[in-house]
Amino acid sequence: MSLNLTDIASQVAGMAAKFKANGQKTHQQLLKAMVICGERSNDLAWLQRKTVISKTSWLIAQPEERLNCHYPSPRPPDEFSIIATDGSQIDVDRHLSLRCYIINIGNVILKYGSNPDAIISSLPKLYSEEGDLVIVPPDGRAREQLVEGTLLGIKRSVEECKQLASIAAKLPTGNSVLALLDGTLILWNLVSKEYPEFVIEELLNRGFIHYLDEIKKLNKDSRVAVASYISFPRSTDVINTLRVIQCPHEIPDCDRYCSEITTGKRGCDTITGIRDRDLFSRLLANGERSALFKSQSSIVEKWYGDHRIYFFYLKVDDEVARIEIPKWVVEDKHLLSLTHSLILDQCHRGHGYPVALSEAHQQAVVTGTDRANFQRLIEMALVEENLQLTISAKNRSKKTKWI
Amino acid sequence: MVTQKEKRIGEVIATATATFTTQCYQLYELPPLGSLVKTRNEKLELFAVVANATTTGLEPGRKAIARGKDEESEEAIYKSNPQLEKLLKSEFETLVIGHRIDGKINHFLPPVPARIHSFVYVCPVEEVKEFSQSPGFINILLNTNPTLPQNELIITCLHQMSFAHEDSHQFLVTAGKHLARLLGDYNQLKSILERIEH
Repeated sequence: MSLNLTDIASQVAGMAAKFKANGQKTHQQLLKAMVICGERSNDLAWLQRKTVISKTSWLIAQPEERLNCHYPSPRPPDEFSIIATDGSQIDVDRHLSLRCYIINIGNVILKYGSNPDAIISSLPKLYSEEGDLVIVPPDGRAREQLVEGTLLGIKRSVEECKQLASIAAKLPTGNSVLALLDGTLILWNLVSKEYPEFVIEELLNRGFIHYLDEIKKLNKDSRVAVASYISFPRSTDVINTLRVIQCPHEIPDCDRYCSEITTGKRGCDTITGIRDRDLFSRLLANGERSALFKSQSSIVEKWYGDHRIYFFYLKVDDEVARIEIPKWVVEDKHLLSLTHSLILDQCHRGHGYPVALSEAHQQAVVTGTDRANFQRLIEMALVEENLQLTISAKNRSKKTKWI
Repeated sequence: MVTQKEKRIGEVIATATATFTTQCYQLYELPPLGSLVKTRNEKLELFAVVANATTTGLEPGRKAIARGKDEESEEAIYKSNPQLEKLLKSEFETLVIGHRIDGKINHFLPPVPARIHSFVYVCPVEEVKEFSQSPGFINILLNTNPTLPQNELIITCLHQMSFAHEDSHQFLVTAGKHLARLLGDYNQLKSILERIEH
């Protein structure tokens, strides 16, 4: 049965009208946010102290530069390379008796300058060994964790970073290189789903962070920056920082001062509802980057160490993108400039979105047909081995459209 | 029989008894329309004439977009976008117009079609000359159903083959006479002959 669009259409019209009505309110909030930015921009030390001591129920960013800073893009070098990876997966099918999954990583190397070149490929891998399917606690006491669903998504991010490090290591030395990932460098889901520490240790410390470290080490012989690109970001870290500025209490403490006040009535609620991208869309000119901010998320503070995540916003035509970079890129002015200029250059070449990420995505994407073909492949392989594939009754029922 | 002058240009990616499609190894390195190419299936050599060529995106549904507004030259577009060479492909369709088996050239369809991934070569001049020594291949060319208008294909094919002959005029006269015998349509014959002469 297809979706009843007639019923939906009237609901959509209502939604559009509400969206229009909210426009005026958003505009007022944005103006207010810009005023706060301007007023408190010069008092960086005060602001940093206040963000550190505040106890908020929402995530705030610590500014490393004045809030209304904006920097035009430096010139990209004449010769440089962009490398990027992106991944997709075919998750474990819990309706099948056979447990396995696929991670497909798209790889792109784009070389610009006097000898331009491109290498575009994909690396699909089937995981079916016991060690691939579960993460086992080292002492055997805690419950082992099945690698599927959210955890598989995190493992995919680790594999993307692993592949990025592998590509970067094979490039000739002496190059200026930007290694790009899609999305965030912060593996939020590891904490939001409250995985046990041995899982974080395995995927983050011995995984993602380890591969970031591999890339960092390449800077002995080359100039390699690593960054992730978030298109149309939904984050509100900077807006939340402005809320802290607005807070009349010397040490903002949401639970202590505002727990009894209804959401929307608190003093800082005058700018809730807008996002960082709305603010920086006004503050930045095309091609400019914002001030640098340090992520205050607990996972970054606890686990990322030398790779602590910073971010800035970048205006590319009509869009504001969020760029995340590790600490060592922030501390090296050359790498920071390289990141800014090359991401902007990639966006210009890619009509608003980095070419390398776009191509890596194209290589990685797994379609519905691919999934069906993969299942058929499993069935054929099992038939050849005279084995029978057991499928759940629910799955069989979905495939068979009885009347 | 492999001679040194054979130039390998691509591989068969779609095949049928009377036609096959070749993907070029290099973007835009297409053999001229109407030129003779060949491929092999074990002891069989299949000769085919280039009947149409295309350059499109490697993936179906991905179309090229204009990129050169701010570039000074077409070459600069490819230099600024090195991925393009890896995302586009050049292909050509061919009509099979004969084959060689046990050393003998036949101007009729081969017993088996080309195989997928068979290498495709541009025929060297000597081989074009040998193949077109007698005009029998024109019969098969007239019986095909090419993508392009048939008259255009016959004209370009004869034009290309004439270069392989020392007396290209004589080759075209012989081919023209053969066409006159085969074609019942005077206007079609006139349209072809008038343009072959030039």
